[in-house]
Amino acid sequence: MDSHTYNIYKPLRATLEEVIEESPLIKTFVLIPDQEFVFRTGQFIELSVDGVGEAPFTPSSSPLVTDRLEVTVMKTGFVTGIMHELKPGAVMGIRGPYGRGYPVSEFEGKEVLILGGGCGLAPIRSLLFTLEHMKDDLEKVILCYGSKTPADCIYKPLFSRLNSLDKFEAHRTVDITDDDWDGPVGVATILLDNVKVNIDNSVAVVCGPPIMMKYGTLKLLKMGYRDEQIYLSMEKNMSCGLGKCGHCMMGEFFVCKDGPVFTYDEIKHNPEIWT
Amino acid sequence: MYYTGIRKEDWHRSLEKLLTTYDIFVPVKDEFSLDYEPFRPGEVEKIAYNIPKPATPLKNFFLPVRENVTSARNDSKPRIIIGAPNCDIEALLLLDEIYLDEVFADPWYRSRRKSTILVASDCYAVNDHCHCLSYGVKPWSAAHADMAILADGDQLLLRIISDKGKEFAEQLSGIHSVDDTAAVSFAEQRHNETEKLLSDLNTGLPDYNTTGEIIQKAGDKIWQKYASKCVSCGACTTICPTCSCFLLIDKPDFEKVKQMDACQYPGFERVAGGEDALFELPRRFRNRYMCKYVWKPQKFNSLACTGCGRCIEACIGKINKNELFMELT
Repeated sequence: MDSHTYNIYKPLRATLEEVIEESPLIKTFVLIPDQEFVFRTGQFIELSVDGVGEAPFTPSSSPLVTDRLEVTVMKTGFVTGIMHELKPGAVMGIRGPYGRGYPVSEFEGKEVLILGGGCGLAPIRSLLFTLEHMKDDLEKVILCYGSKTPADCIYKPLFSRLNSLDKFEAHRTVDITDDDWDGPVGVATILLDNVKVNIDNSVAVVCGPPIMMKYGTLKLLKMGYRDEQIYLSMEKNMSCGLGKCGHCMMGEFFVCKDGPVFTYDEIKHNPEIWT
Repeated sequence: MYYTGIRKEDWHRSLEKLLTTYDIFVPVKDEFSLDYEPFRPGEVEKIAYNIPKPATPLKNFFLPVRENVTSARNDSKPRIIIGAPNCDIEALLLLDEIYLDEVFADPWYRSRRKSTILVASDCYAVNDHCHCLSYGVKPWSAAHADMAILADGDQLLLRIISDKGKEFAEQLSGIHSVDDTAAVSFAEQRHNETEKLLSDLNTGLPDYNTTGEIIQKAGDKIWQKYASKCVSCGACTTICPTCSCFLLIDKPDFEKVKQMDACQYPGFERVAGGEDALFELPRRFRNRYMCKYVWKPQKFNSLACTGCGRCIEACIGKINKNELFMELT
């Protein structure tokens, strides 16, 4: 093989600088890549533990920062379990960025309604950094976020900061309350009942667990959003990230390459998107 | 495209000389099967031209079952692969679309494609489950191989298809010109005979333009019926010339090993949280049909099934996809 040929399978090394505990099951890994790492908000990476395995994550940090990268990881399976044991100084591998990100230029002049749940706030945080940077070109940004319990809510300081920003508002709910919680109780979609949004001049972004993606979309449609106004961040077993290995096929799409962000209009013909 | 000729004896002698430069594979027939073997000058009588079809698909030369894809290494010599049936040649087009795509070209696949001379073999006969013609694939190569071979007694007729094929022919000793009209007529006669055999064998089989619609309309019952004989062994996908899914396995020092994988194996679509859209066997079984006849045709220009019939031959549950199609037609 030509040694000068770019090898699509080879990871870039990145040193783990800091591990932030976001919730009992979620940690954010602050990584310093060996070379500048450029991505668009909503694109994802394959993050690997040396010799163990890799998994897909959308960076939760701002795409405007290219010398460090934050990746928020929920402890879910084998690889993420080992990631959660890693300490600062560890060297990890990064492949990517992969896929289409959010088409933020299409959001210009509009109100952006964001519905998030659980660890789905990770890609949304990156998007929020981007939207904050372009807020002069936006009408309004509304975040509606649900977590299982108050303790499971990640990036807690983010909410007060967003609420202090001009044009931004952030709302939270929890499925199961505790003694200290005095906010709304229920699934994330209940927050949509009280938001004031000019639907005709708006886009909606949904990112969260599969069940929330489905019912969030149905609710948005009921509110009057058109199929092409709803942006979904789809989750599949994205293994190679290159549109080759076949694990993430969702109908005719390779989610890794054709997505992971799709408009509902693009994928609604496939009844299997929610499975 | 033009024809030239060579005596079998000269062809084999030329190949022997080329062994210093190339790895050469030829179709070898023994009492059990026909398959690609390294060319051995002392065993040329075992080489069987124009008989369908090597037991293993051509893809194996380009997508090894398992390979380290991160460590640079000196690949083996350039190769000459002789005797590929057109169903396998056409199947490479889909692999090219996937592995040589503009954004992420696979360097290993690209290098192997580049350094391989493909000598196709026109089929003079058919196997029990051959159905290339039903899917619009001819049983002979005219476009996507470098050269094609037609045996005629102790003579070989060579159809020169590409520049690479022409350059290869120039390296052969004993090449002689042939009367083009006679060559074309000889080839056409063979083609017509084989096409007639294929048509007779596959009367009523739906063509590739309708298979997608048929599969989309198929209800759960048909999947349950056929999947009841499936044991998820993955033979159908392993032997398929277009199936190319794989798994990346991590090794120390951030090395990656790419290993062929298949949607027929449990856990293919399982995500970390445990959700698995293909957990139920009938769903996995259906997935292969949806992929080949609905999704890949929507996404790519090349065929995802070229009608080689190997999946039928390989199935230990004796599942015959053509029977499934006939039942739904």
